Amino acid sequence: MDGAPVSFLKRVDELSGSSKVRRSWFAFACAVFIIVIVVPSIFVVTKLFTDWGLVDSVINNDGIRDTVLSAVANSFSIALVVTVIDIVVGLPMAWIMVRKDFKGKKWLDTLLDMPLAFPTAVLGISVVMFWGAPEGVELPGLGIVVSPYVMMIFLHILFTYPYMVRSLSAILEQIEPNFETAAMTLGASKWTAFRTITLPLFRAGLATGFILCFARSLSETGGTYIALTMMGVESTFFTGPSFISWLKSDTSVYSADEMMGAQILISVIMIVLALLLLVVVRKAIAGFHIPLKKVWPDLGRKLSRGPLPKAKDVLTIAFLLVVVLLPAFYIFMYLTQPIPDIDYGVLLGSIATSFLVAGVAVAVDIVIGVPMAMYIARHRDGKLGQTLDGLVNVPLIIPTTALGFSLALFWGGFGLSESFALLLVILGHISFTYPLVVRNLIGAIEEVDPAYEEVAMTLGAKPFQAFRKVLFPIVKSAVIAGGILAFTRSLGETGATTAISNTVNTVPIYITKLVQSGDYTEAAMCSIVLIAICFVIMLVLRLVTSRRSGRDA
Amino acid sequence: MPEIILDDLRKEFDGVVAADGLSLTIGDGEYVCILGPTGAGKTTCMRMVCGLTKPDSGRVLMDGRDVTDDSVDSRNATMLSQTYALFPHLNVYDNVMFAPRIKEWPEDSSKQIVRSMLHMVHLEQKAEWKPGELSGGQQQRIALARALASGSKVLLLDEPLRALDARLRINLRKELRSMAKEMGLTCIHVTHDQDEALEMADKIAVIRKGRIIQFGTPREVFEDPATPFVANFVGRSNVIVGRVVESTPEGTIVETQSGMRFPARPSDLAAGDEAVLTVKVGFTKITRMQEGQPSAVCVGTIERILYEGVTVTVEIAVEGVGLLSAKLPNRKYEEYSPGDSVGVYWMPDKASVFPMPPEGIEDEMRLD
Ligand SMILES: Nc1ncnc2c1ncn2[C@@H]1O[C@H](COP(=O)(O)OP(=O)(O)OP(=O)(O)O)[C@@H](O)[C@H]1O
Ligand SMILES: [Mg+2]
Repeated sequence: MDGAPVSFLKRVDELSGSSKVRRSWFAFACAVFIIVIVVPSIFVVTKLFTDWGLVDSVINNDGIRDTVLSAVANSFSIALVVTVIDIVVGLPMAWIMVRKDFKGKKWLDTLLDMPLAFPTAVLGISVVMFWGAPEGVELPGLGIVVSPYVMMIFLHILFTYPYMVRSLSAILEQIEPNFETAAMTLGASKWTAFRTITLPLFRAGLATGFILCFARSLSETGGTYIALTMMGVESTFFTGPSFISWLKSDTSVYSADEMMGAQILISVIMIVLALLLLVVVRKAIAGFHIPLKKVWPDLGRKLSRGPLPKAKDVLTIAFLLVVVLLPAFYIFMYLTQPIPDIDYGVLLGSIATSFLVAGVAVAVDIVIGVPMAMYIARHRDGKLGQTLDGLVNVPLIIPTTALGFSLALFWGGFGLSESFALLLVILGHISFTYPLVVRNLIGAIEEVDPAYEEVAMTLGAKPFQAFRKVLFPIVKSAVIAGGILAFTRSLGETGATTAISNTVNTVPIYITKLVQSGDYTEAAMCSIVLIAICFVIMLVLRLVTSRRSGRDA
Repeated sequence: MPEIILDDLRKEFDGVVAADGLSLTIGDGEYVCILGPTGAGKTTCMRMVCGLTKPDSGRVLMDGRDVTDDSVDSRNATMLSQTYALFPHLNVYDNVMFAPRIKEWPEDSSKQIVRSMLHMVHLEQKAEWKPGELSGGQQQRIALARALASGSKVLLLDEPLRALDARLRINLRKELRSMAKEMGLTCIHVTHDQDEALEMADKIAVIRKGRIIQFGTPREVFEDPATPFVANFVGRSNVIVGRVVESTPEGTIVETQSGMRFPARPSDLAAGDEAVLTVKVGFTKITRMQEGQPSAVCVGTIERILYEGVTVTVEIAVEGVGLLSAKLPNRKYEEYSPGDSVGVYWMPDKASVFPMPPEGIEDEMRLD
């Protein structure tokens, strides 16, 4: 029945025996990574030199220049404020998740990740509905009037907060639970161990959380633009990505040259600043020094005794509920409304497009990401390993709108333009989801003793057999986790898609269009349908994979 | 049949030489123990045999065929890793079944092989268990069964008994060796433990700084060490530095700077040569100083007596020489006490004498 795949696998097994083939495969994965992912992501920077005229005219036009600069400034300051809030409220939450045991912890654990599974466009609608009471929305909100800036902070916390809590709990899990007492009673040697092992670990986790949250907030387009539209300020208040979306949606304001110049300028500034930030944060957090020996026991004692800890826990949970979960789920309120007429043809079509894009992107991520992750995980000390490790982060930190714009310019240069729009969108989604898959895999493979594969080979397995029969089953859950993360991320992405093409209609784009035309109820219903489908798929995926592994064993 | 020849292997890891002209010939069906201090290149040597590490130069031959560039899976040399490396996602049965499945042997005979291997290691009733549910000793035996079921004729064991408790370790020594012999395997067994090597090996290879410094039967290595280092590494030795004053076919006499003279077996050294004399602590004897017992080679005072169960070690301070140790049966424990003045002696034939190593004695005796 499945004769063909079996013999295909056999051929691959055979081929994997040759070190030449293995080397070429790795070289191929590297080349794809560099040519298809890294270079197109930052290609726009070269436009600064080749099309300086366009940029120059924007710089000399006070109106556009000031708009561009304030948009970029808004993006960075929102991202910074959001990340700091995430750290402050995320640390106690992480503490609760790791150190406390209570009823319903599992639920909390699942709920925490939910906002990640929502397309941000949906979150945009939901948040504005919850906090404000925008015109045209039939449901009551809290009716609080806040500036667009504050509203953006509320919104961005939703989809960055889970990243921070996850990164911080990952480290807390590794730090010795009874550390407070340890630090108080221990002699110098243990303290040295703490300083040289635990602290770098903590910094690494903090850096990861910081970069993830900051980059996510900086990139976010769909939710931001929708929220601004619902507040009626989309043409007066900008973030970098929302400015590009707005340019694209209304081509009458500026000339084509001005638009191009503005997009180049905004993309280059955001890419360069984001990359600089990546470097600076790594350096700063690595060198950053708190007198923990004094602070920690004190802090530990204060945090764990008296009324303070209770209050802290209550506040933390309250924050999660009121600021994160309620606003995220508020969109379900629309279920109480009469069901509007939805154009199911268009909706299903856009869902199909979204799934196609996400599915292909994740599949490619896994196929070319696995050899890369294996190499990086096993060659951490080597120069090439470290370089690749750093490069993998690049598409993660670059704002997706800038990335999409850059990518479209790059492939456009090869004559691949509108008619290949879908292909380009897929390439774009590969770029920003690739790091998610690879990062997860690197972590998982590093945990696996290389002896497993080695022993498998001495037992007669060819390298690829050792991989698929031993290493892969062991890291499978990490592959799936990374895959789901990448899939949902792709599903929710707006900025890159818009920046690449006007014609590819993914769900977030469709929802954005509905919001633009004021059809909030339809937009909300489409969102609910999308969320429902996402959950069903994830559930099925979990079931199928767990059944599979059950049968394999 | 597998005869393994390592021919002048060299391997360097960014500046660290792990194999430095390593040559060794292992006969078919032999059980060879590689003994050496940490970092000597034992693991590297074994990884070059199975192909997991490629030598920078030199050849590996199996049955006279050069396999240096052959892939790991084609060499039929199975490694038993120090961590066992039982595949955590497979149960015991499927772990042992791994190689037969990979090699696509007929299902029926594979099943039979796996059953008989599990039987041999007395773990048939655990076939459905996951590796994580087994004790260290059981895991070790499953790893062994898995290796044996692969049909490989060469078995490479990297400190296979290290993680086990002392009693189990001693029991498994015999079992391991007899299983290997029963199946006609050529075995290379890496260990830190000299007792393990002495008890299990047909031949012992002592390795240091990437070189084989002695290869011979346990008895040869123990009683006729090739260097002062081997003398002390395989069974502790007393070491005395001096100059040869007499070298005849009957024996050699070494005189220390302080003028004391010690007898040893015959050697090629000439009178006047700087020399190192070694004698195993187990061959060192002591006696009460009484009239009419002239056989003592020197006199000293007992410093400490260490109780070790079956044996006791007595440390004697000898002026002009330092501390000498003597390992005695434990019934002597009562006979001596610290402060006693005793005579130290040994059969001249039990003491070896070597030319002074060029790097000096300190460097020679270092254990790392
Ligand atoms: N993959 C490697 N990369 C760098 N250096 C290595 C590597 N493998 C071995 N070495 C170095 O080569 C030398 C020999 O190592 P090897 O593991 O063979 O020693 P060993 O005799 O097995 O030691 P031990 O008894 O501690 O297991 C050591 O100095 C080690 O640091
Ligand atoms: Mg070793």
